[in-house]
Amino acid sequence: MTLATELQRWGRWFLPGLAVLLVILALFPIWATGYGVRVMLQLFMWIALAQSWNLISGLTGYVSFGHVAFFGMGAYTTGILVTRGMPWPLAALAGGAMAVVLAFVIGWPCLRLKGPYFAIAMLGLNEVLRVAASYFEGLTGGGLGLSLPTLDASVRIYYAMGLVALAVTGLTHAIVTSRFGLRLMTIREDEVAAEAMGIDTFRYKIYAFLLSAVAPGIVGGLAARDMGYIEPISVFPLLTTITMIVMVLFGGKGTIWGPVLGAVILFTFQELVWAHFPHAHQVLLGAIIITVVLAMPRGILGVLQQKYNLPRTV
Amino acid sequence: MRPGVITHVTPIMLGQVIVSGLLAGALYAMVALGLGLIFGVMRVLNVAHGPLLMLGAYITYWLFSTVGLNPYLSLLVSMPLVFLIGVALQHVLVRRVVDAPELSSLLLTFGISIALVNLAQLAFTSDLRSVEFLTGSFLVGPFAFSKSRVIACLFAAGITTLAFLFLQKTRMGKAIRAVSQSREVAQVCGINVQRIHLFAFGLASALAAAGGTLVAVMVAIQPEMGAVYTFKSFLVIVLGGAGNYPGALLGGLLLGLVEQLASLFLTTQVNEAVAYVLLVLVLLLRPTGLLGGRST
Repeated sequence: MTLATELQRWGRWFLPGLAVLLVILALFPIWATGYGVRVMLQLFMWIALAQSWNLISGLTGYVSFGHVAFFGMGAYTTGILVTRGMPWPLAALAGGAMAVVLAFVIGWPCLRLKGPYFAIAMLGLNEVLRVAASYFEGLTGGGLGLSLPTLDASVRIYYAMGLVALAVTGLTHAIVTSRFGLRLMTIREDEVAAEAMGIDTFRYKIYAFLLSAVAPGIVGGLAARDMGYIEPISVFPLLTTITMIVMVLFGGKGTIWGPVLGAVILFTFQELVWAHFPHAHQVLLGAIIITVVLAMPRGILGVLQQKYNLPRTV
Repeated sequence: MRPGVITHVTPIMLGQVIVSGLLAGALYAMVALGLGLIFGVMRVLNVAHGPLLMLGAYITYWLFSTVGLNPYLSLLVSMPLVFLIGVALQHVLVRRVVDAPELSSLLLTFGISIALVNLAQLAFTSDLRSVEFLTGSFLVGPFAFSKSRVIACLFAAGITTLAFLFLQKTRMGKAIRAVSQSREVAQVCGINVQRIHLFAFGLASALAAAGGTLVAVMVAIQPEMGAVYTFKSFLVIVLGGAGNYPGALLGGLLLGLVEQLASLFLTTQVNEAVAYVLLVLVLLLRPTGLLGGRST
């Protein structure tokens, strides 16, 4: 029996397997230690972030070098609202909304143009927000940071993060299997041809960009609640953007499960191996980016799809 | 009211700010010319341009702190050395993505960029370093100009002029301009495009390194200092119009002026934010650049 038919045979177990996995994850906090819950919560966070980056960059080919800006925006929105007495789930949603507003303000001028303009605008955005967060001391606490009232909500944040990760993955599935998704991928493959076929490319790019900002905003808010303390350096790190990008590239950009796969593999590696080499972390990530771009541009899942004729919707 | 914010502006202050802006602008123009060269010739936006500048700064720092070499003389080391690094990067890595979709070249140079930053951290740690060479100011009438900035501006103007003469007068320079106008036609005329790409990347890296050496004397050196210059160089190209090399000069001077004027009314902290707002405004109002360039 060839591997291809083998894989197709496994395919039938995919949905039931997924359901079992979700049930296990839903029951996980009952017996897990506090540490275990925190680790899984971070994994969910990375899945949501990687999936979001995939929505804009994987599907339309417009590289966002500053996606952590939305994470930071969500974190500060939530932090500010929580210190003024708003319940954290609502504040996190407000974080998502603010991230969308920011995406609109940036996307409107930059997405009308070709790739490099958008990429660099996003590279700068993060720096600007970090400066702004230090500058408006009255609102953000400046460089001293912002302390949220203490609250032990790890388990509730675990569920919230999990829900967001699940929702973005579901959204990606819905998009990739829809006409909307096809249009986005047409933009990625050949924008001029897409326009010639009557696709309003600017409008679709904006839609994809706005959708890609929601989850990082919410997740940023949840992370702020979880950490209990935020400062400009901790919520706008370039490393977070880099990690998102590597996860998606590694797993397979433009696919549904690639970012999940990449997040799980990379996060596990990070926790087990790279935690011992914190200094050479970025060299490793840089090397992975270069290797994947040159040798395996479709990522793990892309290679499998091509080799075994798997459906595009995997 | 914040400290450092001024409400009353005298003509002398304004003059001081304008000259300071032009001094800074000459440097921006030189560094941006490098980024524009690669963008024009290969349609590749080199995200690692700033980190190459950072390498130039560290070479100068290292030579100054170990053998006490005059920082301006170290231009003779940093430019050729980073030229070679640039050629190597192009030959081994960037060459492979020149014809690939933008996504590939952006990500590849981004990968190079974070690797370079981390290597600098490993070699020199993240501590702030400085080259204390020329301190103090020239006093001209009521104005005071930091010596290191004036000399940096003179060097930048000189190097930029040489680069322009090279592009205008020499066969290699003409070949570079030909490739940036149309690669296919240049190839048909017998120009070895691969070799031009190699040389253009090296030249651009050398210009970045020159920028690094010159700023090493003015500002603190640290591994992450480069990203800002990638961003500002790109802004300068956008201001001048992509593929329009004289436009890069104008863009550089303009950026320097706007930043200095803004620091007069706000604090210097917001320099990057000012550059950012400028970028967004230009993209909104005049995406082909002020002088007009290749439409995007």
